[in-house]
Amino acid sequence: MIELRGLEKTFPSQNGDAPTIALAGVDLKIETDEFLCILGPSGCGKTTILKLIAGLIAPDAGTITIDGVAVNAPGPDRAVVFQNFALLPWANVVTNIAFGLELRGMAKTAREAIALDLIRAVGLQGFEHHYPRQLSGGMQQRVGLARALAVNPKILLMDEPFAAVDAQTRRMLQEDLLQLAHTTRKTIIFVTHDMDEAVRLGDRVVLMSPRPGQIREAIAVAIPRPRPVDLDQNPRAIELKTYLWQQLRAMQN
Amino acid sequence: MSRILPSTARDPQLVRWGLRALSILFFLIGWEILAYQLDSLLFPSFTETLIALSQLISTPTFWQALWVSHQALLIGFACALLVGTTLGLIMGRWRAAEKVFDPYLNILLATPMSALIPIIILAIGLGLPARALVVFLFAVVVIVVNTRAGLRTLEPSWVEMARAFGANEKQLWWTILIPGALPAMMTGFYLGLGRALTGMIAVELLLIAVGIGRLILDYQGAFEAGFVYATIMFVVAEAVILLNALKYLERKLTPWAGQATIG
Repeated sequence: MIELRGLEKTFPSQNGDAPTIALAGVDLKIETDEFLCILGPSGCGKTTILKLIAGLIAPDAGTITIDGVAVNAPGPDRAVVFQNFALLPWANVVTNIAFGLELRGMAKTAREAIALDLIRAVGLQGFEHHYPRQLSGGMQQRVGLARALAVNPKILLMDEPFAAVDAQTRRMLQEDLLQLAHTTRKTIIFVTHDMDEAVRLGDRVVLMSPRPGQIREAIAVAIPRPRPVDLDQNPRAIELKTYLWQQLRAMQN
Repeated sequence: MSRILPSTARDPQLVRWGLRALSILFFLIGWEILAYQLDSLLFPSFTETLIALSQLISTPTFWQALWVSHQALLIGFACALLVGTTLGLIMGRWRAAEKVFDPYLNILLATPMSALIPIIILAIGLGLPARALVVFLFAVVVIVVNTRAGLRTLEPSWVEMARAFGANEKQLWWTILIPGALPAMMTGFYLGLGRALTGMIAVELLLIAVGIGRLILDYQGAFEAGFVYATIMFVVAEAVILLNALKYLERKLTPWAGQATIG
């Protein structure tokens, strides 16, 4: 279980503006193996929460614990999938996927074997020796996902991972992610600004409000898995999306 | 419907080389005609220059002069590579180092380098160290500036990604920072080599008359225009070959990078 208690984070001002209060008192519990979506308009601090759990930044106040152990640095139990993929342009698909394992000092043949398995799992066979610039956005994010899975983390932190790809590709990636989540059993924290995506993927949706970033409410999606193919017609999904949309629209005003 | 317009350019590479060759050919013909029109002792034709060049490269004096000049180039440029890269990486990574070195870098950037030559000679004399130092100073600034820019303009999510996967500072350098900054560093080396060659000739023409510079001055004094031109032609050809070799190396080492040049 991941527990966030009283998290506060303020970013210092740049060029004389007022400091940005990214988070003002965030409390949240995330169950083991839960798929949690964090939804909110831009500037609500949802990426900040993800970076705090990743250990990339430290909170000004409050604590983060994973199974009772305090987080203060990145660790092997967590892996991040980035919005802009963050692939290394000088490395091919295999090397990119094996990057995390390389940092951990695993031998080349061992880590490339794992990478090749994951290439099959994310459907990139035949592109093992391609470079990121030769791949479409959707394929690049498959590499990003495979790189995160390669280190076999307990917790997958995903920062608007499908925001930069087209709608069709996004749906494909979402379905593949659901499949992977089902087979690998991981705690997934998925940041998005797309309410359809949040309802489609999450066990629970945490709605955040901006300036200062706070959690408005946490809603159980309560649609059984595997999620129905015709989710767009599901009354619970429609109800939930309508509600989330009203809330988001109210925040913009 | 696959081809709406007929394509005449079958091989764009061939067309490019053809145009380049044509451009050079026109220049040489123009040179030749102009020289015959002027009929001056001080302006040799291209063919006269070629004849002088063939004589020049068969004299041991020429090769000795070349070696003397290139000693300064080798030492100066090697030091510039080493110091420039190191300083650029340090300044790009740590703000405190930036604060310490930036004023000197700005002075060197703004000063016309030739103005520093007399100061160097006053300080360390007329020997090889002085010439190497001039080459070094000509080249080092662009290497520092470009290496620093390479780190500064590095995609920040690469660093974040590596840290998220647990990279320590040493791993960060070898897996992200150095490969990521390499394209800009190569640009710095390219520009730096051009300046090093300039520095090598400038110091010999201006104050320390040895090597190639001495040769040019001697031929100039003797009104041997053909030899003056031949010597310069050799130096230009060498510069073009060296710079293109570096460009080739850049493309081989960093095929993912665009052609970003910071001067």
